[in-house]
This record gives sequence, C-alpha cells and structure tokens, in this order.
Amino acid sequence: MTDTSNISITELSKQLRNAITNLETTGDLDEVGVVLRVGDGVAWVRGLRNAGYNEVLQIETDEGVVEAFALNLMEDEIGAVLLGEDSKVKAGQTVRLKGSVLSVPIGPELLGRVVDPLGRAIDGGPAIKTKQQGLVEREAIGVMGRKSVHEPLMTGISAIDVMFPIGRGQRELIIGDRQTGKTALAIDTMINQGKQNTGVVNVYVAIGQKRSKIARLVERLKQEGVMDQTIIVATSPADPASLLYLAPYAATAMGEYFRDNSQHALMIYDDLTKHAVAYRQMSLLLRRPPGREAYPGDVFYLHSRLLERSAKLSDDLGAGSLTALPIIETQAGDISAYIPTNVISITDGQIFLETDLFYQGIRPAISAGLSVSRVGGAAQSGAIKSVSGGLKLGLSQFRELASFAQFGSDLDEATKSQIERGQRLTELLKQHQYNPMSVWQQVASILSVTKGYFDKVPAAKIKAAQAAMLTRLWADHKKDMTELDKGGKPTEEILKSIEVTATATAKGFEG
Amino acid sequence: MAKLSRRAIAKYATEQISSGADIKKLVLQLAAYLVDTRRTGELSLVIRDIQFYLSEAGSVSGVVTTATALTAETKKAIEKYIKQQTGASTVALDSFIDPSVIGGVKVSIPGRELDATVSRSLTVLRTRFKKA
Repeated sequence: MTDTSNISITELSKQLRNAITNLETTGDLDEVGVVLRVGDGVAWVRGLRNAGYNEVLQIETDEGVVEAFALNLMEDEIGAVLLGEDSKVKAGQTVRLKGSVLSVPIGPELLGRVVDPLGRAIDGGPAIKTKQQGLVEREAIGVMGRKSVHEPLMTGISAIDVMFPIGRGQRELIIGDRQTGKTALAIDTMINQGKQNTGVVNVYVAIGQKRSKIARLVERLKQEGVMDQTIIVATSPADPASLLYLAPYAATAMGEYFRDNSQHALMIYDDLTKHAVAYRQMSLLLRRPPGREAYPGDVFYLHSRLLERSAKLSDDLGAGSLTALPIIETQAGDISAYIPTNVISITDGQIFLETDLFYQGIRPAISAGLSVSRVGGAAQSGAIKSVSGGLKLGLSQFRELASFAQFGSDLDEATKSQIERGQRLTELLKQHQYNPMSVWQQVASILSVTKGYFDKVPAAKIKAAQAAMLTRLWADHKKDMTELDKGGKPTEEILKSIEVTATATAKGFEG
Repeated sequence: MAKLSRRAIAKYATEQISSGADIKKLVLQLAAYLVDTRRTGELSLVIRDIQFYLSEAGSVSGVVTTATALTAETKKAIEKYIKQQTGASTVALDSFIDPSVIGGVKVSIPGRELDATVSRSLTVLRTRFKKA
C-alpha cells in the first residue's frame, strides 16, 4: 500500500505541470519499428533501419516506456537487450530510437551512494540529480594522452605494497578460488584510501552479488568512514543479464569523471567472471555463435575495452588516474581457464590467492610465486622500496623449501636460516581484515625481520612482537615515523631508531 | 538454395512493380518462393517491406488513426503533410477510428510514424513519473 502521508499534493501538482510542459511533440515523422518477438530479456525488432550499435530503443508498452539497447544489427531485424522487465513487452508494440547511446549520471553527487547500472539510487535515499551524464561505452584514452604509472596506490596490505606494488593508473588482477579473500583485499584497499587520506575515490562494482552482501559492505564502509568517498554500483543475481553486463561499464563512466577532473579513482570489479557469464547468456540468447566454453568470440574484447579505460593521464589532461582492481574467480585454482587467461593478459599483473595458504592460516593468502606487478615497481615509494629488495624472491624460495622444513636436522645452516627467516616473514605478512597498515608501519615491520632484529623471536610470537614494536615506535619516535610515512627514503637516524626499538622489543619475546 | 533476406525479396518485388511487370505473375512467383522456402509466416513482414521500398520510390500508403472520424479537409491536410515530409508523389491513406487513442492523431507510414495522440502522451508521462 502506498504511504499517502508522504505525498505532497502541491509537489505532485508542480511535477505534473512540469511534465506536461515538457511533453515535446516534434511534429515530425519518427522512425519506428515493431517488436516481432520477445523472451528471456531479448526483444527482436523489425524496422529502425537507422539504428546504431548500442543505441537505446524505447518500446512503448501499456505501462510506460521500456528501454533496450541494440546489440545485434541484422539485415531484417534488430536484437535488442531489454533494460527492464520483459513481461511488459509484447509483440506488435511500437519501438522508437532514443537518438543516443547509453549514458549514466556522473559527478560528485554520486559519492556515498549505492546505485544500479543506470545510475538510479537503490539505497533508499533521494533520487540522484547530477549536472553531467557520461557515456557507458567510451573509447579509451590514446597513447599521447597517457603517462607512465609513477605514483603509488597504497593498499595498506603489506604483502602487496612491499612485494607487488600497485601504481595509480595500473590494472592489477585479484584472482583466486572462492572464499580465498579476494573481496577482502579489495575492501581493505578501499578502507586504506580513507584511513590514509589519499583522496582516491573508490568505485565498487558488485556484479551479481547478493543484496545482503552489499548491505554488509555499505555498513562496514560507513563504520570505517570511507563511504563518503565511495560509489557502489550494485547488481544482484535477480537482475536481468543486461544490467550485470552494463554494470562495469557504467561504473567506469562514473570513475572516469574523477580521472578526467585531475582526481584519482579506484575501480573494483567484483567480479568479471560473473560479468563474462552474463555476457555469454546475452550472446547465446542473441544467437551469436558460441566458442570456447560457450563464450562468444568477442569475450576478450568485452574485458579489454573495459580495462583499457583505466589509465594514468598525461599532465596536459590533468594527470588524473583510474586504477582498476578486477577480480576473477577460478575453479580449483585453475588459472589457465579461458576467462582467467584473458584477463591475466590484459592486466598489468595479478595477485593470486591460494586456497591452501588460506586454510593454513596465511591470510592474505597471496602466492609469492604466481603473483606479479608489472608496472608497480616504478610507483613504489622510496620508503617501501628501501625494504622490499629480494623479499619476493626470498619468500617464494622459502615456500618451495618449506616442505623440507620437517627434515630440519638434516639441512645445512644456510637453508635452515632461510627457512627460519621465511617463517618469520610469513608470520609478519599475515594481516587481519579491515586493518590496513600505513607506510611507516610496513617499513618498520619488514626491517625488523629482514635486518635480523627479530631473529631470536620465535615465529609464533612475531605478530605480538610486531605490535609491541609499532606501539613503542609511535610513542617514542612519532616525529620520525610521521616523516617516514610521507614515503621518502628513510634517513640513517630513522633506521637507527627502528633498530634500537626493534632490538629492545625483541628481547621481551625471545625463547 | 541460399536464404534470401526479406529486404532482398522486397527490393526485387518493388523493382518489378516500378518497372510495370505483370503483378499477377509477380504475386505467384513470390508465393511460390515463400512456400518453397517454408517462409509463409513472413508474408506480412515481406508486404510491409515492399510498402517501405515503394514509399521510398515515392508511393506512400499509410494509416491514420483518430478517436473520431476525420473530415475530408483534415485528411487532405495530412496527405499534404506526408508529401512534404517524405517527398512522395502519391499518398494513399486508410482511416481508422480507435477510441482508445482518446484524442489527437496518429499517422503511420512504412517505417515512420507521427504519434500526437493523448494516449501516447499519457504513456510518456507515466514513464517519467516512474523514473522520478
């Protein structure tokens, strides 16, 4: 039942008058088509010979206009994917061209809101009114409009920031089986943008995610104080495939607004596997020929044209950036499946999460051997770079040697010490969810193990020792740590204070 | 035999009609083709396509729908309007009375339409209010 108490007659009358005034009658003969058949979210239309690819069609139903977009332009008919309920569309209904391709509202008005892929509020808040509209499908910036990735985008997860650094404008894939902590990494990265006051705008795209999960995410982001710099574009499994397909493109259009206005934005596509599945469904219904795993032939282009829009812009274009963290879900750790290999080849690196590590309690369960960041090194801050040398190699060698750890007594001293340090490092890189670390915390923690200050601390006590050391460092050397947090290479004085504090702290945890 | 598109069939038929070919023979030919290729279900679509190509060739046939009967003057004015808009030399209009349009006029010619009816305005209004 409608709540009549909320309806203002004056307001309604005003809106009605406005709507009537705006009812345009062009007096021209419009090009029209007719719905031939409809089903499963796809309408086949006869006529409209001037329709363009991706152009919006308006189907006049008894209950109002239902929009669709043309995806199959054939000689005799058009295959259009409906953006609304197909139950309202019937054969014989009139179809008109809207005269534009799909666009969504963009701008700062969207910050803090949860919207659907068409930019309509779904958070119970007021309708979103923006000054600008952005094209859902837009060509990526060309070569001359770009600049090399050179500024860090700190995730706050030390394993990533130290070993697989991500730069602003980079595309870094998060890949792994279900329940390995992929979304958790992305959420922590968003939270870190708020905690470190980086000014980076988060755009989280939920593709076919349960509404309850979105509600929990929104709650968490509000709790952490990051929602104000976040836009969530949400689709649920109950939405038509067309909306799931559009979600990442629409969200990218929203993120591009900030990129093009000299700001920095972070896109999280959660996840592109579901996106590919939605596109496969649409393509099969549009009777496009199926290829490998029944995906259409252009499934690579589906993701490459999306991720190519993430970029670091040149100074002439304002030096803004759009960083992408697409997520891909693998089956039984198979990264050589069709969609994972496609997205791996498109992105500038991947963070591979392993189920085995996750269940061993190593969280984040990042595989040191299979993860890589191809361009992030150039974006790493001086502070982090000064401690990261050889860490990745050492850790991957340790994980290979780890299986021999049970034969401890038969190993030579060098191997034994490598294993022990690896164990300490593994413990150190474990990090609780919603607990991103700042630059100084990461630098001090890594130094304490790599420089051997914690060599006498057993692996089981490493986390406790780390926490104690960080507390003491902040209490005793706040000024130095604040300086270190700026990202510059640590001075001798700072290194000395870390050494002294770490060595002193370690004494309390020996044995 | 390769499947011809409806567009190709309609183009062929239009060319034959425009060049003054024997209509009876053309009809038989088309019917035989549709039966042979099991596409009789597309007959009405083929006819609409032929109408479309004929209108492009300057011979427009259309339908005018109103809530009440049209006067001869109004019908003439509409014919004149269609000629202006399409550049057609001949215009043949069928009139229909449909009370569900409530008011105004709807002119449909092959592939194009002018819908200035009250019922359409209401549909547009309904959609706008839903969006808001």
